[in-house]
Amino acid sequence: MKTRGVSIAACLTITTALLASCGSGDAGDDGPVTLKFQALSDQPAAIAATESIVEDWNAEHPDVQVEIVPAGWDGVYDKLITQFNGGAAPDVIHYEAASIVSFARDGYLADLTDLMSDERRADIPEGILDSVTVDDQVIAYPTELQSYVVFANRTLLEDAGVEVPTGDTMTWDELREIARATTKGDVYGLGWGLSSPTAAFMSLAPGFGGTYMEGTGEDVTLTVGEGEMALPELVHDMAYEDRSILPVTMTQSGSEAIASFYAGQTAMTVQGSYQAANIAKDAPKDFDWVALPPLAGPEGPQQAANPQTLSVNIDSSHVEESAEFIEFFTQTENLAALNEADALIPATTSAQEALTEKLGDENGWSTILASGQNFTAAPYLFADSYAQWKDTVATPAYQRYLAQETDEAELAEQLTSGWDEITQ
Amino acid sequence: MTAVTSPRPPTPASRPGRRRGPSGLDRARRREAAALVMPSLLPILVLSVAPLLMGVLLAFTDAELVRQPDYQFVGADNFTRLAGNSLFWDSFRIGMTWAIAVTLLQLVAALGLALLLNSGLRLQSLTRVLALIPWAMPPVVVAIMWKMIYSPNAGPLNAFLGSLGLPDDINWLADFSTALPAVIVVGVWVGMPQTTVTLLAGLQQIPPELNEAASMDGAGAWRRFWAVTMPSLRPIVTSITSLNFIWNFNSFSLVYVLTEGGPGGRTMLPMLFTYLEAFKNRNIGYAAAMGVVLVVVVVLLLAVYLRSQFRDDRAEKKG
Amino acid sequence: MRVLVRPAQYVALACYIVFLGFPLLWLVSASVKSSAELNSLVVNLLPQEWHWNNYAEALARQGLVSSAGNSAIVALVSTALVILIALPASYVLARLKGAIRAAGVGWILVSQVFPVILVVLPLFLILRTIGLTDSLLGLILVHTTYTMPFALWMLQGYVAAIPVDLEEAGAMDGGSRLVVLRRIVFPLLAPGVVATAMFSFVSSWNEFFFALVLLQSPENYTLPITLSTFIGGEGKVALGPLAAGSVLAAIPSIVFFSIMQKKLTGGLLAGAVKG
Repeated sequence: MKTRGVSIAACLTITTALLASCGSGDAGDDGPVTLKFQALSDQPAAIAATESIVEDWNAEHPDVQVEIVPAGWDGVYDKLITQFNGGAAPDVIHYEAASIVSFARDGYLADLTDLMSDERRADIPEGILDSVTVDDQVIAYPTELQSYVVFANRTLLEDAGVEVPTGDTMTWDELREIARATTKGDVYGLGWGLSSPTAAFMSLAPGFGGTYMEGTGEDVTLTVGEGEMALPELVHDMAYEDRSILPVTMTQSGSEAIASFYAGQTAMTVQGSYQAANIAKDAPKDFDWVALPPLAGPEGPQQAANPQTLSVNIDSSHVEESAEFIEFFTQTENLAALNEADALIPATTSAQEALTEKLGDENGWSTILASGQNFTAAPYLFADSYAQWKDTVATPAYQRYLAQETDEAELAEQLTSGWDEITQ
Repeated sequence: MTAVTSPRPPTPASRPGRRRGPSGLDRARRREAAALVMPSLLPILVLSVAPLLMGVLLAFTDAELVRQPDYQFVGADNFTRLAGNSLFWDSFRIGMTWAIAVTLLQLVAALGLALLLNSGLRLQSLTRVLALIPWAMPPVVVAIMWKMIYSPNAGPLNAFLGSLGLPDDINWLADFSTALPAVIVVGVWVGMPQTTVTLLAGLQQIPPELNEAASMDGAGAWRRFWAVTMPSLRPIVTSITSLNFIWNFNSFSLVYVLTEGGPGGRTMLPMLFTYLEAFKNRNIGYAAAMGVVLVVVVVLLLAVYLRSQFRDDRAEKKG
Repeated sequence: MRVLVRPAQYVALACYIVFLGFPLLWLVSASVKSSAELNSLVVNLLPQEWHWNNYAEALARQGLVSSAGNSAIVALVSTALVILIALPASYVLARLKGAIRAAGVGWILVSQVFPVILVVLPLFLILRTIGLTDSLLGLILVHTTYTMPFALWMLQGYVAAIPVDLEEAGAMDGGSRLVVLRRIVFPLLAPGVVATAMFSFVSSWNEFFFALVLLQSPENYTLPITLSTFIGGEGKVALGPLAAGSVLAAIPSIVFFSIMQKKLTGGLLAGAVKG
């Protein structure tokens, strides 16, 4: 039994290796090369933008044709992990930094460090580039990002006698003040969809000096100190001392919580920046809204970057061609067009500038795009057990804390002891 | 019983030529059996048994999902490590509550519906189709739809309760006390058509003469149900209940989309752990050990259940 | 007392129908609402303004119609295969004792309990070796294999419910075992077979995970896969078009049920017994 077990495991290994190697031998030398580009698509406008970029490439490069394989965000991780293990992954892979890093660590992604042009490298803000750099290798081109933005109902702010903040940034204390001032009658100052609180708390922690994790891979330590606890405590105080957060929103997702904002039940709401486009589309006709300046903690306005990415399968027989295609895809005008369609923030400075120039102040774009320089690489992206800790430890612990089932000390204790249990 | 079958000359003498020794008959029967089973074996062996064995064997290795994997046989290490994983066992308890509650409610609700659908009410064909609606809803939208229905401030459920003057601000999926019951209702809803159709088919199979005979003996509806319907239905109830239990225990994606395991881990099902360990942590060996433990526990529980069912069967036959 | 039974039955049935049918009604309602209305706090079954555009948008989606065709092929063929293969085998399972039965029951249970996520990687490798990933045939075989345990298990339950005396009586008539099966057992099983066929069809039509990981080319996608591309990252959902697509996807199932449910009724049974 023992030996058979090992030999079957070995067979499995060998089959994987064999299949992986035959998988890369297709295409042949003659005729045009075809690259499979697995693109995640949901918004029709973004699908159209992607298609038009690929058409341009195909017209310019008769020898290297790109074929789009559309896939959905729902389940793409499961699909990719099977494809990689079965040696059947596409050449060019669209995904996001937080999820692609583990594939890089397992050796499935090509090192693009030397294939990325200097021009592109200089164009990508450092924090964003860091978020796709694993063990000193660039494993993906970042393309699109979102940041957390505060949207405000101008009418409600003015009714409460609050001056709408302007300037480069806004402090969390200002947010708290405005929330307090606008809370009266049926109106709450803030609505925040915190049903999955971990992502929001961890992305915004850098502004408070919170890092949560240190190290990479299996060798990661978790710290839950002042910087990490600052934001959860602030939200807790606003909810239960000031009573300025609409309670129901804290158990909803961002897109559910936005309904209360449209209905005038909340004066402000914290949302992903892409919601600007939805507000413009879905809010009542006479709704007067504004995107407030990026939130800044004591350490500054940084937010963790988790860009969407384009990577190359290491087993592709056309790694260089694939990288050239991505290089083309991430040219300034292409990224600008794609991000405009998705209402996201381009990952390159030049595309951010191009969009700002094109769209100006419409729908809060200039404020949102300005936050594109505040991204920093989040250490938790590089921790092996992060996904499991997030789902099984952190999210339940934060939910208990936000529902007043536990206090600060218990929250911190649950976060760390859960981490120890998972990584033991 | 014999009244159901067609007229026949019941004499064994009418086919003397076919009389064979018991062993010959046995062999012939076995050959027939093999011929009947064979076609199902090939796909099962290649596509189910083989991957399953590989999966089980992985539980005794430290396999990870890396490129060009290189893994060792580690004996029972994964299992000892799992024994100390308190998060896993916590969720195991929730998983049991969930699976047992959903299975029982499904059975009771579906049995009631199947009896109604079988009792010759009007619009029978329409109601039978309507009863299958949960099947027709594509699973990708089931959770999204129920989230809308349960929505605390924009959902029809609370709006309906409010119109009756009842509290209309219950946050069904996010309240610590209502979240698990709320997802159990969705679980029952999803599994109802399956169980109903199965039981309905079972009811159809009961020869009407049995009920008629019982009626003539003066048995009321209630007596007939327990004396005729339930005993005839028992093998089918046993089958569907065991399968429902397995499926419910194994499901996690529906609940995951509804609550992501929240609030505060109240709806964290054990299969979610296996999933996270296998795909997100890529420790496929350790995850396989979780899978094996789940299999062993569930199969043991079912063995006890099936045994008791068969014993009842036998007792009944004797009695 | 007696007089009240029928009305009570109708009330109970109505409650069931509301419980089971309301989510679909709500889905239909969502499919004709604008995204502004779907994102408001207003709760109405009827939309404020009818937004048929969702259907146009759903149909304009790449491959919604062709993926429905793929789903139909996969579901119908695997249903036929499951019934053809499982029917005789289930009879053996129910009637014979001993090793075959024990192995059969054991495999059925274990194959259903063991997490699919742990099976899918080896399965993918096997299918790749025989060149059946990214093909509808491969998906048909997988659906057939993974519906088989249920079919066998349920059908053997229905066989067990057929009194053995009936069969012995048939055998005494001089019929060979196959004749007995064809003339007595299979007709009595008809409702069970229909129920099992409905299950096979639906589980294949709705199946997501295997189709997701096995199918690579968009032209092979089945309906659940295409519908899932309506759901974006970070919980962004084009709810209106998704609801519209889902309503369209529900129609074939409902048609199929309407056809099949007639076969669930007793007519077949009575006829069979007479013959």
